[in-house]
Amino acid sequence: MSEARTYVVAGLLIAIATHFAIVFGIPRVMMHGAFDRVSAHSAHTNEWNEAPRVTAASRTIVRPSPDLHYDACAYDLSHGPVVMRVAAWPNYWSLSLFADNSDNFYVLDDREAHEGAEVTLIRAGHEHPKDAARVVESPSDRGIALVRRLAPTQSDWDAAHTASAHDVCAVLH
Amino acid sequence: MLGRILAWVATIVIGLALGAGSAWWALQAGHGGFMQHMGQWSWSRETGSTGAGPYTRAVIARDGLLALSADEALYLNLDHDENNKALREDCVYELAGGSIPARWWSITLYAPDNYLAQNNDAAYSIDSTHIDADTPWTARIAPVRGEAAHWISSRAARRGYSLTLRAYNADEGFPADASVLPTLRTISCPDTAP
Repeated sequence: MSEARTYVVAGLLIAIATHFAIVFGIPRVMMHGAFDRVSAHSAHTNEWNEAPRVTAASRTIVRPSPDLHYDACAYDLSHGPVVMRVAAWPNYWSLSLFADNSDNFYVLDDREAHEGAEVTLIRAGHEHPKDAARVVESPSDRGIALVRRLAPTQSDWDAAHTASAHDVCAVLH
Repeated sequence: MLGRILAWVATIVIGLALGAGSAWWALQAGHGGFMQHMGQWSWSRETGSTGAGPYTRAVIARDGLLALSADEALYLNLDHDENNKALREDCVYELAGGSIPARWWSITLYAPDNYLAQNNDAAYSIDSTHIDADTPWTARIAPVRGEAAHWISSRAARRGYSLTLRAYNADEGFPADASVLPTLRTISCPDTAP
């Protein structure tokens, strides 16, 4: 192979590798950034972190809804299963789980769990804990859980704030 | 020897630039490839999906991180007026709609940076808890409210803002046709005759 052809082939290989590294890397980089912000640089993993009411100043996650109350838990399964409890809410609510590649791999809402819910999150392929009613397998060790509660007014938001105080996100002991 | 080192440096730099440029182009140009369109609105059922392809997943992560999958909520976007022009802060629009077949819906204005517009009007959105959803309704999209019953403030939204319709627990097959989606029309623009 001539020297010029070597450079062309090497350049194309570098270009292809860079292309796919960026395309596959964007979701993980974005999720890593969100995980960092939600957990305050991993200082508050496996606990709910309530987002302030959404206003023009909200800059944690793109396209937030000003009509919803958000609670986020940056979960880390490296220390074992994580249990999540969501207190009942008289209007729409959902618990959604996002893997480290940004996939929304699980959603539970008030239609299925009108009285609130408890979910035990484990790493995919690991043994299911005994006595856990609703076990969900996460495709990654780390990810983000999000509780949305419909709260379009300040009084609704205040009520959601009170309700969310009963939510739990913690390592299962 | 120096020439060979420079040639390798140039090869690496060009390779990185080509790879980054092609990825950027693919994500920009490919954005429309997986979107569905109806009337003035566009959406993707692959949002949040575990079955999404790598390009779709990258675009959604960039523009709508932590969005729910389509089984739970559908996010529809509108970013052009009836003349296919980008939405502008200095224009006045009217959004007209009727019953939207979902448990709850909202329409929110986002500035081009994908966050709420930097104003303190507290008129970021309208939603089905504040609108008689069974009768036709209109909402004004403008920097000032005027006499409108329903208003979304576009103050400080600049040029190129967008509206997002969230439809939670929508009926199966939503949107069945364009008649269930709100329509936007321009009331006035500084360089457009009323």
